[in-house]
Amino acid sequence: MVAIAPKARADSPSSQEYQVKAAFLYNFLQFVDWSEEKSADSNKPITIGIIGKDPFGNAFEPIKDKKVKGRSVIIKRFKSFEELKKSTGKDKPELGREIEALTKCHLLFICSSEQENLKEIINSVRDHNVLTVGETEGFLESGGIINCFVEENKIRFEINISAAERAKLEIRSQLLRLAKRIVEKDASQENKGAESSG
Amino acid sequence: MPLKKTKERNHPGRQGKLIMPVFRNMTIKHKLISIIMLACIAGLVLAGVAFISWEWSTFRNNMVQNVSTQAEMIAENCKAALAFKDAEDTKKTLSALHVEPSIVFGGVYTKDNKLFATYYRDYAEIKVQPNELQSSGFSFNAGFLNVFKPIVLDGEVIGMVCIRSDMSPMYAMLKRNISVIIAVLFLSSFVAFLVSSQLQKVISRPILSLAKVAKDVSEKKDYSTRAIKHSNDEIGLLIDAFNEMLEQIQQRNLELVDAKEKLEVRVKERTAELTCANEQLTQEITERKKVEEELRKAEEKYRTQFEGALDAIVVADVKTGIIIDCNPAATRLVGREKSELIGKPQRILYPPEKIEGEFSKTFKQHLKGKQGQTLETQVITKTGGIKDVAIKANLLEIEGKKLLQGIFRDITENKKAEQRQAQLLKQLEKINQELEDFAYIVSHDLKAPLRGIKTVAEWISTDYADKLDDNGKEQMKLLVGRVDRMHNLIDGILQYSRVGRVEEEKVVVNLNELVTEVVDLIAPPENITITVENELPVIKCEKTRITQVFQNLLSNAVKYMDKPQGRIKVGCVEENSFWKFSVADNGPGIEEKHFEKIFQLFQTLTPRDEFESTGIGLTIIKKIVEMYGGKTWVQSKVGSGSTFFFTLPKTLSATDKEKQLLTASSRNASAP
Repeated sequence: MVAIAPKARADSPSSQEYQVKAAFLYNFLQFVDWSEEKSADSNKPITIGIIGKDPFGNAFEPIKDKKVKGRSVIIKRFKSFEELKKSTGKDKPELGREIEALTKCHLLFICSSEQENLKEIINSVRDHNVLTVGETEGFLESGGIINCFVEENKIRFEINISAAERAKLEIRSQLLRLAKRIVEKDASQENKGAESSG
Repeated sequence: MPLKKTKERNHPGRQGKLIMPVFRNMTIKHKLISIIMLACIAGLVLAGVAFISWEWSTFRNNMVQNVSTQAEMIAENCKAALAFKDAEDTKKTLSALHVEPSIVFGGVYTKDNKLFATYYRDYAEIKVQPNELQSSGFSFNAGFLNVFKPIVLDGEVIGMVCIRSDMSPMYAMLKRNISVIIAVLFLSSFVAFLVSSQLQKVISRPILSLAKVAKDVSEKKDYSTRAIKHSNDEIGLLIDAFNEMLEQIQQRNLELVDAKEKLEVRVKERTAELTCANEQLTQEITERKKVEEELRKAEEKYRTQFEGALDAIVVADVKTGIIIDCNPAATRLVGREKSELIGKPQRILYPPEKIEGEFSKTFKQHLKGKQGQTLETQVITKTGGIKDVAIKANLLEIEGKKLLQGIFRDITENKKAEQRQAQLLKQLEKINQELEDFAYIVSHDLKAPLRGIKTVAEWISTDYADKLDDNGKEQMKLLVGRVDRMHNLIDGILQYSRVGRVEEEKVVVNLNELVTEVVDLIAPPENITITVENELPVIKCEKTRITQVFQNLLSNAVKYMDKPQGRIKVGCVEENSFWKFSVADNGPGIEEKHFEKIFQLFQTLTPRDEFESTGIGLTIIKKIVEMYGGKTWVQSKVGSGSTFFFTLPKTLSATDKEKQLLTASSRNASAP
């Protein structure tokens, strides 16, 4: 009882931040429209994927039964990309399966732990109608769509419109109006260039 | 409290009372002006009020609509900002309210009613407190309109927009409208006054002139004046009617004077009639009182008789048999108190065997047409004693109720006496029978030795005639004579006792023939004549008995005849339901003191030796006649003769058919 387990972080101040972030993820779902392929069947749940070292703890507990656009929401957690790569063998069929799972998500939250593999993750889902949300500096520049950050003790977010367009996502003006910064440069081309050069 | 209540209640009444007399005492002119003015003002006020209230409500609705639209827009616009908790952006959205000058405050509240972002117009900080918040709709409060709209995101309320609008511009407009309407009101009232005070003359003038004429007529009593007609409307009609009325009044006045005179005469007549009727009534009342007094006395008398009667009187209801009343004798009869009888059914007076159903047998009989008759029955006393009673009952009707009044006489003693009498009579009959039997046996048995004595005495007289001297012969003759007398005596007794003991067959007898036969049998001496005075009836009887009667009477008359020329007459007259037969002679007659004695057994008035007589004959006659239900008696005067009478009932007379048979048979008998 005295020992502070990693899970106990959920009640710490940092976890309050993630409670707000969890609510933000749900709110993003409200103001973003997916292409027909992912929004056609209203019986299917909306999937939120979390990749990397999960910082939310039990932040989803109070809102997990909430419905968005009349659909229930499920949270799927993925191992960190590094780990995924290590665990799978040469053929990497498992990795392929995992990546396919990632592309099935509506929203993919990329934890700060994945800073290293950020580009790789974003590239693997960017053409699959997935809203990528991150919390690392330069997330938009890496091709991510929405990036959350803390300013004056408040959680703010910025949006990359070009990335959204590429992912065939429509972000509503109401959401756009609230974004602190809007990036219109298509980072993917740049990234591609960087990747090929690197 | 009650005082206040009455005040409240009186108030409207008093007001009405105050206004109405004031209005009533106004002249027609003023009345007309007032009516027109009142109607005008009322109409204007009503129109003004309607206009203002309609405008007010329209204005208000518009305002609510307007502000609601604003609130709706704000709610829509700050949806995302609230979701992402962006107060800055929300405030920006709210600032759009600036375009509407009447909006003084706008606020966005979070789900838990915390103020999230606000907008204030430059003056005065007016805040809507969380407790004023409503989920939706609007409210008017202290000159402000508050409109609330929920902020809904994906079907979920995430907050609330509140907009407060100042109403003062609206009030200003309202004031302006009211003052305009009041001004119009005053102006139009003034115009209405001017118009009405001119127009009213059209109506009031003819009425006033009519009123003047009416006043003149009533003051001067001059019914010959007439009002002048100005127009052909209702007032013209009124004036016509008034003139017509005046004319009629004139005529009626004359008639009235005439009628009054007639009436006075009639009143006098009626008064006289009434006085007369009154006197009659007084007389009637006096008579009625007298009758009532008599009635009361009669009732008192009845009561006294009822209470004091020796016989028990019980009055019972015909339908129910309940005893209504009874007298003290009744309580004595059954040994019960009055209270034990009244209200009880009358059957309690009777023993069970005299009761049939609900009532006593006699009660039913009396009701079934035997009322007024006396019926014998028994009553039972309280202690169970039985008493014989005779009840006479009558139906009464008192106050519509049918009652049966029964008078009970206690005949227990009478019954006992009757029984005793019957017993005695029976005894007597038995003794009598025994005596008669005795007499018969004795006389019958005595006759045989007597005959023996006589035979012996006659033998001695013939066989010893030569041996007896004259004295002896004389003695023997005397002996035979005495024996004969003894024989006759016994015969007589026998005959007497046979009467009533031995019954003979009854035959039809012609008494005329019978008397003739008896006279032949007696063979009277020549100096005595027996005549039948008139026709004797034909009767049906025991022939020997009737023969005996006539034989005894006639032989007595012959036997005692002391006159050289004896006359005996037989007669018969009808007397009521009897034949009265008589046998009259001119013999020695009988002293009155012996009239009874001669009919008794063994009584003769003369010494035995002078006439051969047993003294039984008349006794037998008496017995026979009485057996037929007749009587015997004698009328006599000493020295000039006596008449014996006896009667026989006419019931003995033979029918015509029997008479015919008789004559036929006698003819046959006499034919050969």
